[in-house]
Amino acid sequence: MVDVTVGVPNVDGSTILDRAKALARFKFENTFFHFVTFSAAITVLVLLSGVILSLVLGSIPAIRAFGAGFLVTEVWNPVTDKYGAAAAIYGTVVTSIIAMVIAIPIGVGIAIFLSELCPQPLRQPIGIAIELLAGIPSIIYGIWGLFIFAPLLQQYVEPGIISFFGSVPGLNLVFEGPPYGIGVFTAGFILAIMVLPFISSISRDVFATVPAVLKESAYGLGFTTREVVGNVVIPYTRTGIIGGVMLALGRALGETMAVTFVIGNAHRVSNSILAPGTTISATIANEFTEAVGSLYTSALVELGLILFVITFIVLAIARFMLMRIEQKGAQ
Amino acid sequence: MSPTNGAGANRSAKILVKDLNFFYGDSLALKSVNMSVYANSVTAIIGPSGCGKSTLLRVLNRMYDLYPKQRAVGEVLLDGDNILAPSQDVNLLRARVGMVFQKPTPFPMSIHENIAFGIKLYNKVSKSELDGRVEKALRGAALWNEVKDKLHASGLSLSGGQQQRLCIARTVAIEPEVILFDEPCSALDPISTAKVEELIDELKEKYTIAIVTHSMQQAARVSSYTAFMYLGELLEFDETTKMFTSPDKKQTQDYITGRFG
Repeated sequence: MVDVTVGVPNVDGSTILDRAKALARFKFENTFFHFVTFSAAITVLVLLSGVILSLVLGSIPAIRAFGAGFLVTEVWNPVTDKYGAAAAIYGTVVTSIIAMVIAIPIGVGIAIFLSELCPQPLRQPIGIAIELLAGIPSIIYGIWGLFIFAPLLQQYVEPGIISFFGSVPGLNLVFEGPPYGIGVFTAGFILAIMVLPFISSISRDVFATVPAVLKESAYGLGFTTREVVGNVVIPYTRTGIIGGVMLALGRALGETMAVTFVIGNAHRVSNSILAPGTTISATIANEFTEAVGSLYTSALVELGLILFVITFIVLAIARFMLMRIEQKGAQ
Repeated sequence: MSPTNGAGANRSAKILVKDLNFFYGDSLALKSVNMSVYANSVTAIIGPSGCGKSTLLRVLNRMYDLYPKQRAVGEVLLDGDNILAPSQDVNLLRARVGMVFQKPTPFPMSIHENIAFGIKLYNKVSKSELDGRVEKALRGAALWNEVKDKLHASGLSLSGGQQQRLCIARTVAIEPEVILFDEPCSALDPISTAKVEELIDELKEKYTIAIVTHSMQQAARVSSYTAFMYLGELLEFDETTKMFTSPDKKQTQDYITGRFG
């Protein structure tokens, strides 16, 4: 900070001048500070629009060539230069749904256990272990998934699932076919493990915001822990939990490396989730280096644009839901 | 400690506290407290902040159980049974000994559900019977006329005073035997306070009531018995009229007249 002479008892002409100088300096510093922070904020907007612009420009050739049909065409053939995004979009959405179906109950369950039931000495170690799970680089999930997890699923889990659902009409189509080990289901499973820490640590944080007196008054009516959690803690923190889930969903939609390893990279829309498939980000990561020809590159960029739009929609829905919940709470 | 004489002598003690010591970790918060809470009457617990009055209240329904470092030593007899015994089912105890807190704490659900939930916990009732009991509880808490047209609005949409009466209705709905009030009016305006006090006065017909309060006037208005606590000890316990006109102890006199606290 700047030194200012304060507490001088006799204010003569020179002090007044000093003050004016100091004030002028403050004014300059203020303006400068304002400018720096303002540009920092603007940079984000510039970067964002730059990314969108280059995605759009890059995908123009593909949009010209395939039009809206790109979204619903399953064919992806670099030899004949025919491209469609249906398989990648389908794979992205389905792997994320599988991940959420597995990770939400487990993640929220972990959070409930840690914040309401866990004996004090165990809280810290388990909490740290879960945070560490988030720190593992995704490439490690990829190799682990490919060499350890996929063979395990192939040998022990998938045959069981196939025969179990084999006789259930409808579901037998979803769990059909030979157990490949790698495929959409495996990718969803790996994604679930990867997003678990997000869901559980955010849920845990928001559970901690429930006022003790609110919980006490529920216990005071004779509620058990399960009833307190189900009827007070979760309704009270619903907004925060949805926030955590959406963050996890955002990560699952865009996750590349681990998914590329275990999904099988087949441009196919299969009815069975055990079959190999692909996702948008896996396709881009796999094929960018070998994309010769401008149309091929452009098709990949358009895939990127689609992923951008999907993620944007997810975030927009999340915002909208949070807004509605907040309004409901405010009424 | 029991009231020196008079009407109190032949009233039956719903709760009997015997040699109760209470610890937060290593620090002693209650020092061998002995007192009675008489059936179908209001007992006020007064004293300066930190004297242990809320602690005492929280022992009566074992609310302290939620926190691992807090423990109580001694005996608290509810109808003759020691509720501090490890075999005591705390959920059942809290259904018998309800509690209303300093701040209104409606659950994040509708007004109707706030009350219905506790009822459904203990009884399997048909929808019409449930609605009837919700209405009865709301009438019991003098809230029915204000909320009957918006039973499905969020409990949080009510004013502070209404929320507090909703919490009382919620407690009354599961038909406890004892209701503990922990400074129930400290967050309320004078009009809401008057309504809650009126309610407490009506509730004593059916329930046994203990109330912790910082307001001497409130203690004088609502209670039949008053306990004065100071630094973790129960200094004086007597009929409210006696306590407020001629207390035995000098500290009590000083506190009541506002010389300290």
